[in-house]
Amino acid sequence: MQKDRPLAVFDTRREVDFVIIGSGASGGVLAKQLSTAGFEVVVLEQGPYRRAKDFSHDELGVFIQGEMTSHPLWEDRQTFRHTRQEKAVVHSQGPAPALYARGVGGSSVHFTANYWRMRPLDFKERSLLGEISGTGFADWPLSYEELEPYYTRVDWEIGVSGAPGPFDAPRSKPFPVPPLPVKSSGVLLEKGAKKLGLHAQPAPMAILSKPHNNRPACLHCGFCMGFGCEANAKSSTLAAMIPLAEATGRCEIRPLSTVFKIETNQAGRVSEVAYFDAEGAPQAQKAKAVIVAANGGETPRLLLMSESSRHPDGLANGSGLVGKYLMANGHSAAYAFFDEPLNEHKSVQVTRIIHDFYENDPQRGFYGGGGIDARAFIQASPILFAQNGLPPDAPRWGKAHKDMLRRNFTRRMMLLASTTSLAQESNNITLDPEHKDGAGRPAMRITYRDHDDDLAMMKFMQDRSMELLEAAGANTTWREPVVPETVLAHLLGTCRMGADPASSVVDPYHRSHEVPNLFICDGSSLVTSGRGQPTMTIQALAFRAAEHIAGFARRGEI
Amino acid sequence: MKNSVSGRRRFLVESGKLAGGGWLALNAPMLLAAGHHAAEQQAAHGAWVNISEDEAAGFAAVVDQVIPPDDLPGASEAGAVYFIDNVLGGFLAALAPLLRQGLQDIDRRARDVSAGASGFAALPFDQQTAILQTIEDTPFFENMIFLTHCGLFALPSWGGNTDKAGWKLLGFENLHAWQPPFGYYDAQLLAGEGDHAEG
Repeated sequence: MQKDRPLAVFDTRREVDFVIIGSGASGGVLAKQLSTAGFEVVVLEQGPYRRAKDFSHDELGVFIQGEMTSHPLWEDRQTFRHTRQEKAVVHSQGPAPALYARGVGGSSVHFTANYWRMRPLDFKERSLLGEISGTGFADWPLSYEELEPYYTRVDWEIGVSGAPGPFDAPRSKPFPVPPLPVKSSGVLLEKGAKKLGLHAQPAPMAILSKPHNNRPACLHCGFCMGFGCEANAKSSTLAAMIPLAEATGRCEIRPLSTVFKIETNQAGRVSEVAYFDAEGAPQAQKAKAVIVAANGGETPRLLLMSESSRHPDGLANGSGLVGKYLMANGHSAAYAFFDEPLNEHKSVQVTRIIHDFYENDPQRGFYGGGGIDARAFIQASPILFAQNGLPPDAPRWGKAHKDMLRRNFTRRMMLLASTTSLAQESNNITLDPEHKDGAGRPAMRITYRDHDDDLAMMKFMQDRSMELLEAAGANTTWREPVVPETVLAHLLGTCRMGADPASSVVDPYHRSHEVPNLFICDGSSLVTSGRGQPTMTIQALAFRAAEHIAGFARRGEI
Repeated sequence: MKNSVSGRRRFLVESGKLAGGGWLALNAPMLLAAGHHAAEQQAAHGAWVNISEDEAAGFAAVVDQVIPPDDLPGASEAGAVYFIDNVLGGFLAALAPLLRQGLQDIDRRARDVSAGASGFAALPFDQQTAILQTIEDTPFFENMIFLTHCGLFALPSWGGNTDKAGWKLLGFENLHAWQPPFGYYDAQLLAGEGDHAEG
């Protein structure tokens, strides 16, 4: 179905209906929705156009070298610090502080594909719980009920496997395909949960358990997290949306296009998007409207880079909130060995989750909520397992090390807790004042330290995870201390939506408060962090935004 | 032996695998050209492309301390030194000076222990272990552990993991399709014998 060349090719001087910056979880949905609605769309994607045939099981290339994420050849350095009092340090090794994938389909290509819906409470928690001082804790300008039809579209159009759990929010339609087959880790999580009076439920995953929408079912090869799917069974926008967008003949995906400025005209409207093409030459694509969907790190970076005399603090930044309120979700883990082989390297990362601790509980003494899943994580990757998979007191080399690797590669299990992050102004994306990337753009500077409540929630969930592993019959358990996050795989909240231009960047339909033909729709739109699996919500927002934006365009309201 | 190894390496170079190009081939012609240049340089050399015979012997001794031979191959037999030779001409070229210094350092320590020894590789296994215990936390040895793991467990197309010896050690198989049951506990469940089925 996919063609080797783009079906639509637009001249950069032609004023197309929409330029979408970013082809990931949200950009891919917007491109498909707007092109099938009859609009001309150019998608500018900074990464290459890889297809299923280009993906591999090459752990060294994909993980160690960071082929899709932080390969040095990208020359797109980031700097990181915990607080503004510190000097931000240039990232040089290991996963980048703002971790996302470059390429058509964006991070939906390499993600683990956990697809939790948010619940009604997530959208109005500020009203339910009251103010949390020193934070930007706020209600959303929309409700679960308003978003539910779009969650259902994600289930069916993107392709989500699952079955309802005991605490799930109401859904208008069942899952399109059943849960993926349970793995040994799921069986053990369920066993531990039963002993403790908790409830393990099938994990909703954006990986097909059965053929759906002309895409095949998962082959259980085990290379999901961090890898692209060779079978097109993972429901990335590369597999599920982009081919439909291209098939309209109205959508051009333009890879290796690194945007450096959104240009505005005398009327204060966006006129064109300036970018470096694959050869590094500057280009500019004219458009009637622009949608920024570059992720919660790159979106604010680009808006801040797009300053002008009319917009001295960056585009769409009248509120001063572009880049602020960065939320990454908290994470804590617990590990175990079991007597018999689990073979976690086979099949998808997660098959069972626990949502008993989803809601805030005042008795805990701190704000927060989250979920626990049994996942393979680095267990699916032999090199990372050998480097980091054994308990901290295990021998790191020699005969005893070899024996431990040999015995435990197949017998290790991990529980990962994902938790809330409170919105704090002090956590943000800014332009680094000193460092630039290879294209001369200011480096992304990340300032991030989890709120004390976030850290307490992570610790609470780690304690529960340890109890679950013991209850499941582990012969060895261990954990690492909970510390502030330094690798942020979820980039949320940095252009938050709201009705009030003074306290938000976009309105409830993702239109920037200041520039009528500029829309922003990705993880940056989220007002709260949810409980740790944001992509489902990002895409529901994108389906909803596309519907409204198409309506505005048809009615001449852009 | 030497011929078959260099034949295999020539195949890897020509197929572009040895350079570890991967995504470079997709959309970035300039970068791809740079990668090919490096690969041609490698193809012009013999069995060891980026390291000397002595260095190869030193690396072999160290990687066999990290993963020693027993009933399954040690790291050198599993191709870890070929892997190191490859990546020192590729994406880990910047590591070469540190590793060379490290090898010289353990050779010096070996001669301190045993005056007649030509170097670290010539010492008995237990004496090598004792020397490495004294430098366990150095960047050199940290990197050697990392390189040993990579040389054992990366795709064989990187030059190591000969006959998938590393994966056999772990019980890992690189297949493109599996079917349930995947492990003992889900098999038990499927068979209706598990705690889950009883409870």
